[in-house]
Amino acid sequence: MEKFVYTRLPNAPEEHLSEKEKMDMEFGPLSSKDYLYEVSYDPNQPLNPAVDEPPYFVVIFTYLNYLILIIIGHLKDFFGKRFMPQHFEAVLPKNGYPPWYSAFESFYPRRLKKRLDDCFARPIYGVPGRFVRCFDRISPDYNETFLYSGELKPLLNLSSYNYLGFAQSIGSCTDAAVKSVEEYGTSSCGPRNQIGTCNLHKETEALVARFVGKDDAVMFSMGFGTNANLFTSLVNSKCLVISDSLNHSSIRFGIRLAGAAVKVFPHNDMEKLEQILRESISQGQSKTHRPWKKIVVCVEGLYSMEGNLADLPALVALREKYKFYLFVDEAHSIGALGKSGRGVCDYFGISPSKVDMLMGTFTKSFGAAGGYVAANQEIIDRLRLDISTNVYGESMPPAVVTQISTSLRIIMGEINGDEGKQRLQRIAFNSRYLRLGLKRLGFIIYGVDDSPVVPLLLYAPPKMPAFSRMMYERGVAVVVVGYPATELISSRVRLCVSASLTKEDIDRILTICDDIGDKLYLKFSSGISGGEKHPGDYKKGVPPRWSLKEVLERTPEDCKKPTY
Amino acid sequence: MSVVTTTLIQNTNGAPEAVIAYISKVVKLWEQFIRGVEKVPGGSLVLNYIRASHKNDPWRTLLEVLLALVAIRYFFASKYSQDEKEKVHLSEREVQELIDDWEPEPFAPPLRKEERWELDAIPMVKGAAGNRVALEDPKTGNIIPNLLNMASRDFLNMGLNENVKQRAIKTIRECGVGACNPMNFYGTQDVHVRLGEDLARFLGAEEGIIYGQDYCTSTSVLPCFLKRGDIVIVDGGVSVALQKAALISRCHIEWFNHNDLDHLEEILESLQEDLREGPLNRRFIVTEALSENFGDSPDLKRLVEIKNKYKFRLYLDETYSIGTLGSNGRGLPEVYGIPRSEIEITVGSLAHAFGSSGGFCVGCRDMAYYQVLSSNAYVFSAALPPYSASAASAVISMLEEAEEPGKVNRYVKPLQDNTKLLYSLLKQSRKLQQVVSVRSAEYSPVLILRLAPALRKKLNLPESYGGPGSDVLKAIKNGHEEGYFSRDYNRENYLLQKMIDELIGRGVLVTRSKRVLHHELLPVVPTLLINVNAGFTEEDIRHAYECIEDTLSTTLSGLDADGLNQLVQQLEETNNIL
Ligand SMILES: Cc1ncc(COP(=O)(O)O)c(C=O)c1O
Repeated sequence: MEKFVYTRLPNAPEEHLSEKEKMDMEFGPLSSKDYLYEVSYDPNQPLNPAVDEPPYFVVIFTYLNYLILIIIGHLKDFFGKRFMPQHFEAVLPKNGYPPWYSAFESFYPRRLKKRLDDCFARPIYGVPGRFVRCFDRISPDYNETFLYSGELKPLLNLSSYNYLGFAQSIGSCTDAAVKSVEEYGTSSCGPRNQIGTCNLHKETEALVARFVGKDDAVMFSMGFGTNANLFTSLVNSKCLVISDSLNHSSIRFGIRLAGAAVKVFPHNDMEKLEQILRESISQGQSKTHRPWKKIVVCVEGLYSMEGNLADLPALVALREKYKFYLFVDEAHSIGALGKSGRGVCDYFGISPSKVDMLMGTFTKSFGAAGGYVAANQEIIDRLRLDISTNVYGESMPPAVVTQISTSLRIIMGEINGDEGKQRLQRIAFNSRYLRLGLKRLGFIIYGVDDSPVVPLLLYAPPKMPAFSRMMYERGVAVVVVGYPATELISSRVRLCVSASLTKEDIDRILTICDDIGDKLYLKFSSGISGGEKHPGDYKKGVPPRWSLKEVLERTPEDCKKPTY
Repeated sequence: MSVVTTTLIQNTNGAPEAVIAYISKVVKLWEQFIRGVEKVPGGSLVLNYIRASHKNDPWRTLLEVLLALVAIRYFFASKYSQDEKEKVHLSEREVQELIDDWEPEPFAPPLRKEERWELDAIPMVKGAAGNRVALEDPKTGNIIPNLLNMASRDFLNMGLNENVKQRAIKTIRECGVGACNPMNFYGTQDVHVRLGEDLARFLGAEEGIIYGQDYCTSTSVLPCFLKRGDIVIVDGGVSVALQKAALISRCHIEWFNHNDLDHLEEILESLQEDLREGPLNRRFIVTEALSENFGDSPDLKRLVEIKNKYKFRLYLDETYSIGTLGSNGRGLPEVYGIPRSEIEITVGSLAHAFGSSGGFCVGCRDMAYYQVLSSNAYVFSAALPPYSASAASAVISMLEEAEEPGKVNRYVKPLQDNTKLLYSLLKQSRKLQQVVSVRSAEYSPVLILRLAPALRKKLNLPESYGGPGSDVLKAIKNGHEEGYFSRDYNRENYLLQKMIDELIGRGVLVTRSKRVLHHELLPVVPTLLINVNAGFTEEDIRHAYECIEDTLSTTLSGLDADGLNQLVQQLEETNNIL
């Protein structure tokens, strides 16, 4: 306790790591060629894997948990506002000014999220690579404030969207980025259409277009901002956007800003989508029944909370039939999916020409920042002049552009030999290994086999901080997500696999998860979504509960077989 | 009613076995249900409550049941009937025919022939963009070297500063380039925390929070604190970012004439009655410290008095004023000697005078904390690259170290001196007075020139484009994309571009507003923008002035409507070929 003396975040302590040690901390060395896997899409694999239902009592207890938390929260609010108004200044009127935010709209964050605030926004130092180093901290007052010891705690990193492991401070990308700062400086000087376009932008946009298989692409300095400002240039109130129910908030924000009519279809439900399409086209706009000017269907390539893929084959077939425009947000799938990392089209073997607009971000697989939109020349020409970010907002700074172009060239195999290919094969193996291992241990895991996002279901809300803290103590960084990012009952921990992890790291993670899973009572899968010991176990009612030893022995081999 | 009940009872008395058996079954099921409810945690509490209230007041139970039924009906009705009623009934074959017949408009309207020049007019910088810059001609690949860069918004010339670069490189060597994670999930690096503290300290606020892009900051901050039912009064000349921020908040919006505080007071006065009687909703005044479109500032002292008098909060956008106004670049409040605490929310850009990238917001702790929880672009987006945070911190510490009481900061002074010099030169030029008017104020580092009103008349150009009541706004309302294009607007911009091209030939790069009509809610006037930089010498400024004066007056003084037609003929001819 005594060592937590700093009330504000101290500076990071001096480091004494050799170059090699530092490198290994950021990107683990491959221990054997056996731990590589080349992705191939199996058309028989279900795209919406059967969702395992937790036992009845788990559901009841989860609701009960919420009930108690809500009752206690309201009691605290009720008495607190009366007896300790100094702690409620933000939600109470003061001197004739209304509160900053109402007690009602902030009830959830104040009364539920605050309890696990120590699991969020842990400040870090250095590269969020294979390991991430967190400033050790405790809270003396239930997460109101934090105290720091000044020490860093290295944690195995399952939290970053560092899919291909390009978050590095040593290597070709970093060298190129440093050179870029030396040469071009830190500022982008202004909007793209005024002064913010330099030769780097032009070259990299051409590279991105070539990578995703479109005529041209345009880049923006923020992924969220890409979606948020894209739709006002494409659709208006006489257009219809049909959006997947789990689409990212940036897409919903963009559509709202554009003022288009919106319909939502249940996540990945292609039948319902077709039904909506038939009805919308035949009925036309509401009230006037005039035909819609355009219909755009928005989906994500890889859903970051579910680990599911968009059903691209079905979407493309529907697109042929109904002439809508297909928009795919590849924020998580670009780089991380497909034999050559080119996203969902690559994964399914579908020509990118079948998708009207490919959007993606550079924050994830490329270790950079920003987003892009790729489409036909005609569309991109218009967007360059029309998208508000290009006209009014800052452009992408030079070092970020360089990081993108260098990492892209590595993935495409244009530099550094087969480094790119190996990264792709490492993430493919790691994803399958971790997923199958966890399933065999008996956890409920969502998503498709090849997805690098591995959501592990916790259900009861108190298990979120418990899981996160126990992982933290054992040296693993994870992200827990609950309501409102997920459904009320399906709180989960989202494990993001990275190419920077080694097979041994995953062994360690499985070992720790096995231990915590027993302690927190998390193993209640029925086997419906895989992990059976003997084929047909699920039908017989035998749930998968392999011993850790068996999992570690057999899974690295088994996970490479297409049937798993 | 009593008649019905009695008959029912009589009937039951004489009912055959089957009915009695049926009723007892129903009663049993009911009992089971009640027992089931009791078992559900909390269920017995509910039952007891119902029993007790029923015993005290049976009518209440009836009333509550009725209310519940109405609520259920309402709930289902609102969901379906409206749509269902409006629906046209179609056979399967008719539906298929409609689907086959439907032809959508193009995803994005293709560029017209006469707009294509805009695409070619985007300057492509070759190499670094400091206060000198080289451009590459995208068609020929020719390089035009060593232009005076009067288009950059890196006002303090910090982007290529050695100190700033070294801090950025150090961070890249420690943290890599991207943050890879949102701020709330292991995306907060120590350098982000430091920058938040630096901003708060430098500007005199409690807390600072950082965004990944300046343009997204306002559209994300404002909706946090304004929802349906709240009120915002917005300056009628604000930038698109603020217009959209107000719009997406879906609150009640009032506009006051640009920087006209009398008008603001009038509006506040007229709202008084409603405000006093209505609920205590949230109320904001939104304006820019240095206007993007007009280059002038409001009277902050009076503005603060007004907002305090009416108990409104002030949202001040300092995108252009941070680093450029005030003796130490602390923005408009420093000019007026007003403490930052008087301004509830301040937003600004790290990409302008701070020579980095990203946006920020400073204010009190409660306000910042709520953004961490619920601001879209903060919660759902990756953190700013750590090296950009370091670069901005480096600039702030340089500004702070150079601070001397009673003196203008040595990093800011050259900018302010250059601005004043160029302003007075342009303003006093006799040649220019006939053809352009300087719209910006003498302290604005962005000099904003418009065609003079007399010239506009001579050229048959409208006073402004877009805005309330305009054709463009009508086209937006009808979703008519063809109508987004304005021929006159295109021609006027082309005229400005001709002068920019000419100036490039003379070694000076200036720029112009490239506003997109259909994004703007407010009227637009095309302007030439001349950005001053701290890195220019007096000679640079005088040289630029001479070139500008000469180019503008040669092109514009003798120009009449026919001349303009001839100049832009080329545009329309390409159209004829079409
Ligand atoms: C699907 C999707 N789109 C867009 C974004 C925003 O990207 P960025 O973090 O680069 O702003 C995200 C990030 O979480 C995302 O998941």
